[in-house]
Amino acid sequence: MGRYVIRRLLWMLLVLFVISLITFAMEHAVPGGPFDREKKLPAEIIANLEERYHLDEPYWKQYALYLYDVLVPRITTEKPLSMMDETMVNIKLGGKYYLRWMNFGPSYSSRSRTVNDIIREQLPVSLQLGLLSMAVALAIGLPMGILAALKQNTIWDYLGMGVAIFGVSVPVVAMGPVLVWIFGVALKWLPPTGWGARPPYLFFFVPRDLFTWNFWRYALMPAFAVGTGFSAIIARLTRASLLQVIHEDYIRTARAKGLSERVVTTRHALRNALIPVVTILGPMFAAVLTGLFVVEQVFGIPGLGRYFITSITNRDYPVIMGTILLYAIFLVIANVLVDITYAWLDPRIRYE
Amino acid sequence: MLSKKWSVLVAALLVGTTLLTACGGAPQVVTVEVTKVVAGETVVEVVTATPPPPPKEMRPNVLHLNFGPGDVPTIDPALSTDTSSVQVVDDITVGLTRLNEVSLLLEPGMAESWTVSDDGLTYTFKVRQGIPWVRWNGSAVEEVLDCEGNVRYVTANDFEYGIKRTGNPGTASDYAYVLGFAIKGFNELNGAAGWSDLTDEEKQALVDGVAVKALDASTLEVTFTTPAVYNLNIIGLWVAHAQPKWIIEGDDCTEARGDRWTEPGFNQSYGPFVLKEWIHDSSLTVVKNTLWPGIESSPVPQIDEIQWSMLDASPAFAEYEAGNLDSTGVPIADIDRVKADPVLSQELTIAPSGCTYYYGFNTSKPPMDNVHMRRALSHALDRQGLVDNVTKGGQEPAQWFCRPGMAGCPTMESHPDAGIKSDAEAAKAELKAYMDDMGFTSVDQIPEIVLMYNTSEGHKRIAEAIAEMWKETLGIQVTVTNQEWKVYLVTLQEDSPQVWRLGWCLDYPDANNWTREVMAIGGHEETATQWRNETFTALLEQAAVEADPVTRQDMYAQAETILCYEDAAIIPIYWYTMVNVTKPYVNRTYSQHGHESHEKWSLNLELE
Amino acid sequence: MAVSEAVVPVRRRTASLWADALFRLTRNKASVFGGSLVILLVLTAVFAAQLSPYSYSDQDREQTDAVPSWMTALFPTIKPYAKLSGQFPLGADYVGRDLLSRLIYGAQISLSVALAGPLIALFVGTVYGLISGFFSGRVDNLMMRLVDIMYAFPTMLLIILMMAFFRSAFSESEPGTFAYLMNAIDRRFGGMLFIFVGIGITAWMGTARLARGQVLSLREQEFTLAARAMGAGNGRIIFRHLLPNVLGPLVITVTLAIPGYIATEAFLSFIGLGVNPPTPSWGSMIADGAQAIRTYPHQAILPALALSITMFAFNFLGDGLRDALDPRLRGTQ
Repeated sequence: MGRYVIRRLLWMLLVLFVISLITFAMEHAVPGGPFDREKKLPAEIIANLEERYHLDEPYWKQYALYLYDVLVPRITTEKPLSMMDETMVNIKLGGKYYLRWMNFGPSYSSRSRTVNDIIREQLPVSLQLGLLSMAVALAIGLPMGILAALKQNTIWDYLGMGVAIFGVSVPVVAMGPVLVWIFGVALKWLPPTGWGARPPYLFFFVPRDLFTWNFWRYALMPAFAVGTGFSAIIARLTRASLLQVIHEDYIRTARAKGLSERVVTTRHALRNALIPVVTILGPMFAAVLTGLFVVEQVFGIPGLGRYFITSITNRDYPVIMGTILLYAIFLVIANVLVDITYAWLDPRIRYE
Repeated sequence: MLSKKWSVLVAALLVGTTLLTACGGAPQVVTVEVTKVVAGETVVEVVTATPPPPPKEMRPNVLHLNFGPGDVPTIDPALSTDTSSVQVVDDITVGLTRLNEVSLLLEPGMAESWTVSDDGLTYTFKVRQGIPWVRWNGSAVEEVLDCEGNVRYVTANDFEYGIKRTGNPGTASDYAYVLGFAIKGFNELNGAAGWSDLTDEEKQALVDGVAVKALDASTLEVTFTTPAVYNLNIIGLWVAHAQPKWIIEGDDCTEARGDRWTEPGFNQSYGPFVLKEWIHDSSLTVVKNTLWPGIESSPVPQIDEIQWSMLDASPAFAEYEAGNLDSTGVPIADIDRVKADPVLSQELTIAPSGCTYYYGFNTSKPPMDNVHMRRALSHALDRQGLVDNVTKGGQEPAQWFCRPGMAGCPTMESHPDAGIKSDAEAAKAELKAYMDDMGFTSVDQIPEIVLMYNTSEGHKRIAEAIAEMWKETLGIQVTVTNQEWKVYLVTLQEDSPQVWRLGWCLDYPDANNWTREVMAIGGHEETATQWRNETFTALLEQAAVEADPVTRQDMYAQAETILCYEDAAIIPIYWYTMVNVTKPYVNRTYSQHGHESHEKWSLNLELE
Repeated sequence: MAVSEAVVPVRRRTASLWADALFRLTRNKASVFGGSLVILLVLTAVFAAQLSPYSYSDQDREQTDAVPSWMTALFPTIKPYAKLSGQFPLGADYVGRDLLSRLIYGAQISLSVALAGPLIALFVGTVYGLISGFFSGRVDNLMMRLVDIMYAFPTMLLIILMMAFFRSAFSESEPGTFAYLMNAIDRRFGGMLFIFVGIGITAWMGTARLARGQVLSLREQEFTLAARAMGAGNGRIIFRHLLPNVLGPLVITVTLAIPGYIATEAFLSFIGLGVNPPTPSWGSMIADGAQAIRTYPHQAILPALALSITMFAFNFLGDGLRDALDPRLRGTQ
C-alpha cells in the first residue's frame, strides 16, 4: 500500500508538470495580451511593461523562469526587493537567512497584490464554499438515493428522483437569483450577497468564525444553490448502485444468515454500493470548485472562481497559471485519495 | 402538571412584555423626592420632572455604494485607469484644479490661483498651504510626520514628484499619455525608447526635461506645449495629483513600500476622505478626513464613511431592494418593473452620462469602402426605437459623436441638423445609389457584412435589434458575431471587421478629447476605421486653440458632419444616461464627468 | 403411479441480450412514458419550422417583453407594467421575438447538444475506460494519468481558451486552409461545431474513469473467468461480457450529465461563446431570462420548464434502459 501511494505521488508531479506546460502554451496561443487596452498604449510604454514582466523574452525562457521561481527553494539573506520577489513560503532560518519557496509571480492586473496574495486571500473562500456545497450535496443526495432504492417504485422513489432531477436541471444562474429574491429581498431572512469570513484563516482555509451564525447566514444560500444540483447526481448514482448491490447473492446470503435488515443494508450493501459514489467525489469536487464562478458572481462572494475568469479575460498570465496549478494539485490529491479509499473499500482491488 | 407550568410561563411572559413596553413607551412622568436645606431647615420637596425624550433612532452616517464586479485594480494615481480606481483617487486626493461635477466648470483645487504668461504657455500655480498628509492608523485619522517629527504638508514638490513619477517609463503608467498632450517635455520622458538601457544620468536628464518645476513649497511652474483651452483641465486630472515620495521610495525614517504603498496601513493621502479598509475583491471603505479644512470646490464631507461593495449589477440591485445599498444602477431587465413600482419609481433618476455608443466602419473593406453604403446603414438605424424599446434607459439618440455638454461640443439646441439622422427613406435612396455605383441589381450581390461586438449581454441585444432593422429596411442580412474583450481589441487594431461596436467616455469634458483624440489622423481608432481625412484633422487642430466658444462650437459641428454624414465613417447611436435608484434619505448630486463628488453628499440620519 | 404432467418448465425462446432488453424496456411504464416524450421532442425539433407560429428571429420592437393576458394571472406581480398583447402565445422576448417559436427552435439546438455531448463522452470514454481497466497494470496507469491530466484542467478555462482560440484563429483564416473549412462548417451550424468539440473534449473523462472502475470490479468476478475458460479472447470478453455490465451505471451517469452539457452550453451562451444570435437555444434563453427573473419570470421559467421536462424524459428512459440492460435481471420479468 505504501509503495502504491508513493508511486501515485510521483505520477502526480509529472501530471502537474504536463499541465503547466499545456496551460502555458494555450495562454500564449490565444490572441490578446495583458497590455492590450481600448486606448492603445504607445509602443514604448508597452515595451517597458513587457520588459518589466519578462514578456519580451522567448517563450521557453519565460516558462523556464516561471518553473524556477515556483519549484526551486532558495536560501537568501535579502529582503524581497519588489512585488515580484514575494514567495508563498518564507521561513526564517536563524541569523539573516531565509528559506523562500514558491513564487507564483506578480499579477498583471493588480499592481499591489502578487499571485500569492490573491491565492492566500481568495482561494480559501472558494474552498469553504466548495466543501460546504459538497456537504449539502451529500446530506441531501445520499439519504434520498438510499431511500429511493430501498423503496423502489413507490411514491418515495418517484418523488425523490423527481426533486433530484428538478434540482439538477435548473442551472445555478437561474436558481441563484430566485433564492436571493425570496430569502434576501422579500423575506429579508438572509443577506443577499457577501461572505461571512475574511482573512486571515486558520490552517490555510478554515474561517475563524466557523461556528458563528454570521458565517452560516452568508453561506446557506450559495451552498444550497450549488449543492442541490450535485445532490441529484449523488442521489441517482446511490440509488442505481444500491439497487444493483441489493440483488447480489451475498446480500441474499446475509439475509439468509438471519441478519437484521438494517445490518444487511448498512454493513454489507452500502459499503459496496458507495464505491461508485466515492469514485465520483474527486471529480465532483473538481467540478464544484471550477464551477463556483457563477455562484460567486451571483452572490458576490470574493472567491477565486470569479477572479479566475476575470484573470483570463485580462490575460493575467501568472494568476491563470497559479490558479490552475493549485487547482490541479487539489484535484490530483483528491483523485489519489479516491483511489486509496477505493482500494480500501473494495478488497478485491489491491495494487502490488 | 403541564398546564400549570404553561400558565405560569404565559403569565411570566405577559408580565415581561408589559414591563418592556412600559420601558420603551412614551416618556413617563417621574416623581422624585428632593431633599434641600433652606434657611437652615431641611425641607423635603416632591418635584415632578419629565425626563428628556429618548433620542430618536438614527441611521449610521455611512454611505453604502457599489462599484461593479471585480476588485478595484489600484488606487495609485499614476496607475489608475478604471472608473472605480479614479473615483477613489478623486475622493482621497485633490488635483491642482477641480471640475465641478454638475456644471463642468473648472474650479481651483489645490491651486488657489494661477497666473499665465503672455504666450499662454507657462502657468504659475499657487499651491494651497497647511493641508496635511494623513493616514488611517487603525482607529483614527492622523497626520503623517517627517523625520524631525513635524507634520508633512502638501507642497508643490509633491505635485512635481507626482507628475514626473507618472511620466517615468519605469512606473509603466497606462494613462500617462494624456498628460503628454499638454505638458512640455512629457512625451520625451514617457515615450523614451530603450529606457532600461539608458544610464542614470540620461534618465535623470529626461526626468528633468519635463517642464514642471516647484519653485518653492507653494509655487509650481508648468509649461504647456500649446495654448489650448483644455490645459487647465488636463493638469487637474488624477494622474497629476500629488504623490507621497517618502512612502513610495522611502527616506531616512520611512521604509519604502514601492508598489504596496496603496495598501491599507501604508496608504497616505490628503483629500476629503482617507482609505480605511480594503478587502480585495470584496469591499473598500474610506472615512472622512477630519483634518481636511475644506475648500470651495471640495468642502468638508458631511458623511462619516463610504463603503463600496464589488457586486455585479443584478446582485447589487437585489441588495438595494433589501435595503443594504443606498444607491445603485438599475439593470436593463429591471427597468420596466422599477418604472411601474410606486416606491422605486420615486427613487429612480435618469441623468445624462458622458459616453457615446457607436458603430464604426472599416472603410477599407467592401462594401464599406463606398460612402453610400455606409450612409445607408447609418440612416436605416432607428435610433429612437432602439432607445425606447431595447435599451429603455432614457438614452438620447445621437446624431454625432461627441457628447453634448462637453466644452465645444454642439448640442441639439445649438445645431439641430448637424451630423446624421435616422431616416428610412434616405437609407433606401442611399442603398440605391450604392447599387447603381456597383452595378448590382439585387441585394444578394452585396458582399457579406460582419457586425462584431465585444461579448456582453447588453451589446448582444442592441446588435440583434440593429441587424434586424437593417434587414427590414434595406433587406441586407448581416452576420452578427462577438469576441471576448481582449481578443476583440487585438482584432480591431489588426484587422477590424466591416462594422464594429465601441463606446467612448470622456477623460476630460472637452470636445478635443472626443473627435480629435479618437477619430482624427493619429487618433485611437484610426487603424480600426482606416479613415483618414486631412481636412477633418486640420479643422480639429484649429478648433483646439480657438478661443471664442461660439466659433469653436461651430467648428466642431462642422467636423461632426464630416465624420458622421459626409464621410459617414462611424454610426453614432446614442448618448449614454445613467439610470440610478437612490434612497430618499440620500442628498446627492449627479456628476456629469463620471466621478462623483462624495464630499458634497449628505444623509438624513433620522429613521422615519 | 402417474407422474404429474404439470411442472414442465415453460421454456421461453432464448433471446439475445438486446432483444430481451427491448422486451423489458417496453414493459416498464415509466420508461415508455419517458421514451415517448423523447420521441415527441425529437419530432418537435425536426419539424420546428412547421410547428412554430413565427420565425425565431423576426422582431417586433414595439412589443418587446409583451405578454398574453393570462400570464398576468399566473404572475400577478407583473401586472403593473406588463405590455399586454394577444399576438404571442407565450409572450415576446426583449427584442420582440416570439417565445414559443424560439422554444421550439431551441429544441433543435439543445437536443443536439444534449445528444452530441453524451454520445462523444460515451463512445470515447467507455472504450477508453474499458481498455484501461481491462489491461490494468502499466497500460492502465498510463491511460489514467492522461485522464488525471485532463481532469485537473479546470473545464471552464479549457472551454474558454478553446473558444477564444477557435473564434479568433479560425475566423481570420485564408480560404482553402483547414481552419477556413472548420469555420465554414461552424457557421453553417450556427456556431455549434466548436461547442460540440469543446464539450466533447471536456466530457469523456468522467465516463472513462467510471467505466474503468466498473471494469476493475467486474473483471475479477466469476463470469469473466468462465468466459476465459471457454476460450473467449480479450476483445470478446470486453465487448460481449464486460460491456453490458458496465453499461448500466454508465448510461445513468451520462443521461444525468445531459443537463450538465446544456448548462455548459447555457454558460457558454451566457459569456458569449455559444451560439451566434439570433439562433435560440434553451440554455441561452435561460441565461437571458435569468437577468429578468424578477421582472418577467416567465422568460426564464419557460425554457427551464422545457429543460426539466426533457430531463425527466431522459431520466425515465435512462432508468428503464438500466433496468432493461442489467443482465442479472434477465428472465425475471
